[in-house]
Amino acid sequence: MDRAQLLLMTGIALFAIGLAGVIVRRNALVMLMCMELMLNGVILTLVTFAQQTATIAGAVLVLLIFVVAASEIGIAIPIVLLLSRQRRSLDVETYGELKG
Amino acid sequence: MNGGTLLTVLFCAGALTGGVLMLIARHPMRVALALIGAMLSLAGVYATLGVHVIAVFQVLIYVGAVMVFMVYVIMLLDVRDPSFLHRYGGTLLPGVAVAALLAAGLAAAVSGGGAAVALDAGADGGAAFLVQPFSAGFLREYWLHFELTSVLLLAAVVAAVAVIRGGRRNDG
Amino acid sequence: MNLLTLIVLLPLAGFLLNGIVGPRAGRSFVSVVGCGLPILAFLAAVRCFLQLQGSDAAALLETAYTWASIGGTSFDIGFYFDRLSAVMTLIVTGVGSLIHVYSIGYMKDDASYARYFAYLNLFLFFMLLLVLGRSLLTTFVGWEGVGLASYLLIGFWFEDPEKAAAGKKAFITNRVGDAGFLLGMFLLYHTLGTLDMDRINEAFNSPVLPAVSASLVGVLLFIGAMGKSAQIPLHVWLPDAMAGPTPVSALIHAATMVTAGVYLVARLNGIYAHAPEASQLITVLGAATAFFAATVAIVQTDIKKVLAYSTLSQLGFMFVALGVGAYGVAVFHLYTHAFFKACLFLGAGSVIHAMSGEQDIRRMGGLARKIPVTFVTFAVATAAIAGIPPLAGFFSKDEILWFAFSSETGGSTLLWLVMSFTALMTAFYMFRLLWVTFLTPSRMTHEAEHHVHESPFSMTGVLVVLAILSAIGGFISIPHFLEPLLPLARAQESLEHYEKPLIVLSVLLAAAGLAGAAFVYRGGLARADALAARWPRLHRLLSGKYYVDELYDAVLNRPLNWISDRVFLGLGDRFLIDGTLNGLAATAQRAAGRLSRVETGNLQFYVALAVIGIVACLGWVLRHG
Repeated sequence: MDRAQLLLMTGIALFAIGLAGVIVRRNALVMLMCMELMLNGVILTLVTFAQQTATIAGAVLVLLIFVVAASEIGIAIPIVLLLSRQRRSLDVETYGELKG
Repeated sequence: MNGGTLLTVLFCAGALTGGVLMLIARHPMRVALALIGAMLSLAGVYATLGVHVIAVFQVLIYVGAVMVFMVYVIMLLDVRDPSFLHRYGGTLLPGVAVAALLAAGLAAAVSGGGAAVALDAGADGGAAFLVQPFSAGFLREYWLHFELTSVLLLAAVVAAVAVIRGGRRNDG
Repeated sequence: MNLLTLIVLLPLAGFLLNGIVGPRAGRSFVSVVGCGLPILAFLAAVRCFLQLQGSDAAALLETAYTWASIGGTSFDIGFYFDRLSAVMTLIVTGVGSLIHVYSIGYMKDDASYARYFAYLNLFLFFMLLLVLGRSLLTTFVGWEGVGLASYLLIGFWFEDPEKAAAGKKAFITNRVGDAGFLLGMFLLYHTLGTLDMDRINEAFNSPVLPAVSASLVGVLLFIGAMGKSAQIPLHVWLPDAMAGPTPVSALIHAATMVTAGVYLVARLNGIYAHAPEASQLITVLGAATAFFAATVAIVQTDIKKVLAYSTLSQLGFMFVALGVGAYGVAVFHLYTHAFFKACLFLGAGSVIHAMSGEQDIRRMGGLARKIPVTFVTFAVATAAIAGIPPLAGFFSKDEILWFAFSSETGGSTLLWLVMSFTALMTAFYMFRLLWVTFLTPSRMTHEAEHHVHESPFSMTGVLVVLAILSAIGGFISIPHFLEPLLPLARAQESLEHYEKPLIVLSVLLAAAGLAGAAFVYRGGLARADALAARWPRLHRLLSGKYYVDELYDAVLNRPLNWISDRVFLGLGDRFLIDGTLNGLAATAQRAAGRLSRVETGNLQFYVALAVIGIVACLGWVLRHG
């Protein structure tokens, strides 16, 4: 296995671990952090491919993704904050309005 | 295996370890620390690839801003609720199985080669990704995208304030 | 020159006008339209008749409308006016108009006055289609239409469930007969390729006979005639049909509709002349009907029921004439019967009107002085039906008896004996009716007696006209008039010298009937009741009309009801159809219940499901990518 394939496999593994974390863990904040892990996995694959080209376009895209990730977490956390304040709990199992 | 590849492997292992620790740790703070570790390892990976700018920004933005924010929030909130005692919900087994399936599928796609993944083993962007050429090229050709992201950030700030304000009004 | 079409369309216009505008337009409008249009139709018929006499042609032809053009053949609504149609049309429109005028007085107080005249005009329209139709198809349309009109008019007072049931019975029994009619039509079309009645007759009269059994076709068409003209075994609807208004009974069930079967057989004489088995069947059934109906009429106590059974009996006479090949004579009897039977029914209507609705003759009596015009006309008509010369009935009935005795195709002494005995009974029960209703001492309730009054002129005038026609109508010899069309039956040479004695004998029989009735019923019902007590079982059998209705009920109604209830309703409808639908609905509900378990409200579960979907798509793309 050469370096590129190794990196891709790592990216896939990170993505899968993050996904597992989103599905499995009950704490809302932990879920958010696992989503960040997923995003990192994807960024790793993007960097792998970008590095193989001669232009910097892929790397610029990664930079912009960082900005988006930051703004995303900047809004997601206040939302979780409000939710937890209303429910007095961070446990996602208690957020059951979608039932039925 | 030369030194460069060894480093890459080490850093990849570090990232994976961090990921697995995230799944296992009980206290959210420990989860955050594991994530920080994984992110730093990834920065190392980027560095071994020669994409120094990205490595730096990974540390600066991701670890330095996003994870710090995360840590602050964990500090503020009372995390000792039922999700602390019971880490996993009913979806433990299905979740793990599904993730494993996905990973297997993607891995099959990647290793199968052919048209699915156009990998060029030896290609290397080379010196274009050093700090100075990168910065020059970035600000020369992609300055508009850069400005647009600042608009995005502004929108995010406004949204965050709106969320908190609205929440406060409901609470009061 | 579309005079024939005009004859048919005038009553239709009356139906539409009275039906649509009538209820709001007032009685005078309805009366004028309802009676005026049939009278106009009658005048048009007279004009056509004169035209026919003036020309050399055998018939007037008119095609009104092409109904359908299928493949190479076209089916037209065409009208055919030869001598036979002329006789029928003049009777239908003439007697029909008289009865319309009578109805003005009779139905004066009825709330559905406009509807009545609308239906009556509708009936005339269909009847004229029937008798003027050139092809069997047109005739069949009229055939069905008069059945419909009969249903509507019998059940005219439909709020009474019994009367509505009587209407249904008539329609359904007719439909049984119509099945035979249709089969006959199909067979004819299949072999001959045409349904035009004149061409059918030509085909059967030609030297090369068509490749179909004339008897089979004859029997099938006769089954239709059985239904419409109430021969045994499809006679059960006619007595019940008396539930309708009396003018309806006069028009439809005496003068015109019930004679449609006779018309059909007479018109298609080409078939029956070459169908000895069918003709024999007609003779036997006709004689049976005549005989049995007469026996039942002797014990009936409702004035209209007596006349109904009398109609059955006289129709039997007509069919006997047809069966022995005397087609013109049958039409002659049809013609005279129209006059005196209509007069009798309308007279009965007048009596019922005078008695404020009473129909039971045991509660009548002594009406001769109170309602003289009705009495005299009724007496004349009774004498006509009994066969007293020189009234109309004598001529026609006597010819039937002669051909029953002597015809080469089916006449026999036995037949003559049966028919003569029936004629004797006819005279007896008709004069019984006359005596019990009019001439015996009164058995009326005091109140009824007080209210007895003669009918208005619109009713009595018609009675007088019909009585006069019953008296003198016999002098127009219809059989000779129709001879070019309907060849006279041939009487056996050896029996020629019996003709005069037989005439004398039939007159004696009529007189005997009169005398017998006068004797038994002279002082009242006492002697009759004693006779009934002497033979109670016979009396019960006759009063029960030979229990034919009960037989049909047990053999047909009850099994059919059982099948409808158990098989079709219980099994088919409830179990199969409702069960299937309910089962489908229940299945859908259960499936929905099971499927809704997916919505647990657990976000992570939803994510897992989404990822499963993604994995599946990925796998598919990889496989087929």
